[in-house]
Amino acid sequence: MEEDFDNIQEFEAKATAKKLPLGWLMLYIGLIVWGIYYFVQYTPAISGWTQASAYEESLGK
Amino acid sequence: MSGRIYSKPVAFILMSVLVIAVGTLVTMVIPMLTPQMHPRLEALRVYSPLEMAGKDVYQREGCNNCHTQTVRPLRTEVMRYGEYSKAGEFAFDRPHLWGSKRTGPDLARVGLKYPDMWHYMHFEDPQSIEPQSNMPSYAFLTGNPLDQTSVEGRMKAQGLAYSEAEIAELEGKTEMDALVAYMLYLGHAVPPVVESAEAGEVTMEELGDHEALEHAGEETFEHQCSACHGKTGEGVIGPSLRDKVWLGVEGDIDDKVIFAIITNGTQPGLEYAGRPAKGGMPPFGNALTQKQIWELIAYIRMIQK
Amino acid sequence: MDDYRYDNQTVNGFILSAIFWGVIGIVAGLWISVQMWLPSWNVAPYFTFGRLRVFHTNVLAVGLGIGAIFGITYYIVMRLTRVPLFLPKLARFHLYLFNVAMVLVALSLLAGMNQSVEYAELEWPLDVGVVILWVIFAIVVFGTIIKRKEDQMYISLWYVIASIVAVAILYIVNNLAVPADLFKSYQVFAGVNSANVAWWYGHNVVGFLLTTPILAMFYYFLPKSTGIPIYSHRLSIISFWSVVFAYLWTGAHHLVYTPVPDWIQTLAIIFTIFLIAPSWGSVVNGYYTVGSDWSAMRTNYLTKFFLWGITFYGLQTIQGPSQGLRTVSQLIHYTDWVPGHVHMGTMGWVTMTVCASIYYVVPKIYKTEIYSIKVANTHFWLVLIGQLMFSITMWITGIQQGAMWKAVNPDGTLKYTFMETLVPNYPYWQMRTVSGLIFTVGMLFFIYNVLMTMHQGKQRMAGAGV
Ligand code: HEM
Ligand code: HEM
Repeated sequence: MEEDFDNIQEFEAKATAKKLPLGWLMLYIGLIVWGIYYFVQYTPAISGWTQASAYEESLGK
Repeated sequence: MSGRIYSKPVAFILMSVLVIAVGTLVTMVIPMLTPQMHPRLEALRVYSPLEMAGKDVYQREGCNNCHTQTVRPLRTEVMRYGEYSKAGEFAFDRPHLWGSKRTGPDLARVGLKYPDMWHYMHFEDPQSIEPQSNMPSYAFLTGNPLDQTSVEGRMKAQGLAYSEAEIAELEGKTEMDALVAYMLYLGHAVPPVVESAEAGEVTMEELGDHEALEHAGEETFEHQCSACHGKTGEGVIGPSLRDKVWLGVEGDIDDKVIFAIITNGTQPGLEYAGRPAKGGMPPFGNALTQKQIWELIAYIRMIQK
Repeated sequence: MDDYRYDNQTVNGFILSAIFWGVIGIVAGLWISVQMWLPSWNVAPYFTFGRLRVFHTNVLAVGLGIGAIFGITYYIVMRLTRVPLFLPKLARFHLYLFNVAMVLVALSLLAGMNQSVEYAELEWPLDVGVVILWVIFAIVVFGTIIKRKEDQMYISLWYVIASIVAVAILYIVNNLAVPADLFKSYQVFAGVNSANVAWWYGHNVVGFLLTTPILAMFYYFLPKSTGIPIYSHRLSIISFWSVVFAYLWTGAHHLVYTPVPDWIQTLAIIFTIFLIAPSWGSVVNGYYTVGSDWSAMRTNYLTKFFLWGITFYGLQTIQGPSQGLRTVSQLIHYTDWVPGHVHMGTMGWVTMTVCASIYYVVPKIYKTEIYSIKVANTHFWLVLIGQLMFSITMWITGIQQGAMWKAVNPDGTLKYTFMETLVPNYPYWQMRTVSGLIFTVGMLFFIYNVLMTMHQGKQRMAGAGV
């Protein structure tokens, strides 16, 4: 009996090898953009937001 | 990025190491080299050998699988557990014991809450205090004496300061004593926030029908107080409420003072009607409404008669 | 064929070991699930919840998870490199050492030897053992890849390499400790810093054990069992490097609202959310692959295992990232929601994919067919139902718990005592035990099927006089 060997070429489709589904690509880029926004909003050194000050504020309510 | 690297394993391995290193360096290694990751509050006391041995028991038994030790800065959480946890409170914990699941309540400030007797009873048989609790019994700890040499070795391994006398005091102590001592240690590094001891806007008179008050008070008492003060206030872990001895001193006190005690608890440092508090009772100011507290006082006055 | 026979037996040994430890770990899971609503099932000192839970997680993650990963990775690597294992005797020794270590892991955890770092509970002598096991694994795998006969390394090999490298770094750094005696050590890191290191480790060890090696299996066995090639090479590349890069930043999403510095939490949350995209890269790639020929769903019984597996991975990688957000964490952190998340990953994604891979590998090793597709289908449905019931009940009770912890009366006081928030969990915890039983029965079908396949293979070989 033969050991069944793998031919790597058969593992991957040729015709679609370079395709990136559009919806997925938009998600990828969108999340990076969102990340930049979140970084600016929630980094104390940039926006002044801190966990502790958010807590103090919540007490005021 | 296509091409050669996918047929060069050594290059591929090196590339992986590099890619893995970036986030590791920025969020873990570099912060570790700065003081912000090594804070220590001045009020944070080093574990005594007994307390440290208790922490070891806590870890061995895996208590951290059900109990967290960090209060988040969220309003209701602070109300439930006490002041939120500060970075400098954990300098002697190797590792941290913050936990990730609250099958039971948070323990970061439990040392401010109950007296030692409560813990002994609770570890012996949790359901005797909370009949519906799912916590296992740890009664077997009473049968495990501490080993002085081993505790000393463990203090040394962590570089914690201790005295010979403290080691000598371990003589005759069990793992149960150690665990209770550890419980009492927790949470003291941050001074508790004491609410105004003022009785507030509501008064007992305004609340009307005295009998209804007593009735409601009885119910609250059963839920919140009876575990320590007994089913009908006769006293178990906490003192009897049927006599006229308050904070260990003979002689009655005003309703308003009782109100303050229930609100703020009896942490050492507090003083009520000239009588220093010695600890043992947690504050109920956040757990009970002013009305509920007056109801309790009405009930207490009733059972005193 | 004889070149491979010895190595195949090693693979087979790992598969059997993984199944064995899987059974032990699942029984422990059932046991602790009962303890949560019936405390009299605690048997002090060795079998209280605190010790058994750690036993459950370690025996399953290491015994079932890593055991299967070792074996199946060896299998995949040989096929993709077209050479037998590098140092076959070492690989066989690896198998024996693994089982010896597992016995010690199981016993030491029940004895309470415990560092209290989640997913790194083992005490230092066993840490040394784990490192040795991992180094052997690295030597065998890297050695085999280096002497390969196939120039290009296929996607699965990338994931294997990254996993080996990452776990080595994570495990060694996180377990740096000062021993006090043979059975007790203290982490060199303290307090806040220890938390930051521990979750840098904790999140990534889940990632590089329960995600990337399983993706390696997925990328290999999906095209093998369906006969359909992977849709997009480029998508695989971007997903791979993005996942490996982003993972390491995210540990602090387990530490939201703790005293760990705000900026570290914020960075962690950003990369956590970003992870949706590359994780879904693999999901999309899988869907498009099968999408090019849906008939594979009907013609090959394994297709649905892999497709449902990757679907749970997809759900997991949306749910997980959302849990990192501050507003979500506030509600669900510390509640039963998290075990709901965990078991969708471990039961739905990991166990499903691993079982399907074993279904593929065992008949190949024994040169036979699967014993019964019908039994495999029964296994599939029971496991699916058990897992869904488990996760859904935990999500419901988790949200309820979180909401009750936060509830306040009109006058601003807390509405519920802690006990009042605990008791409503009981019916859900009972349901969880029932779902666990369903899952377990499913797994018994699986084990029966695998053992019968082996038996059938042996008989045929004996019959053929091999
Ligand atoms: C019959 C099946 C199973 C049952 C009944 C079960 C039950 C449980 C229970 C009761 C917990 C503790 C949850 C808590 O503390 O609130 C738990 C935790 C855990 N289980 Fe399972 N389990 C099962 C299968 C599995 C499998 C197959 C795996 C992995 C391959 C696994 C991995 C884990 C992990 C990693 C945790 C820790 C979760 C955390 O820290 O949040 N379990 N399990
Ligand atoms: C992109 C993918 C994922 C992300 C970003 C993610 C995120 C998270 C987060 C934020 C938590 C903490 C929840 C809390 O304590 O409040 C968590 C817990 C957990 N996740 Fe995921 N998750 C992902 C995928 C997975 C997968 C695929 C698995 C496993 C098969 C998994 C297993 C776990 C485990 C075991 C825990 C419990 C940790 C503990 O003991 O507290 N996760 N995850």
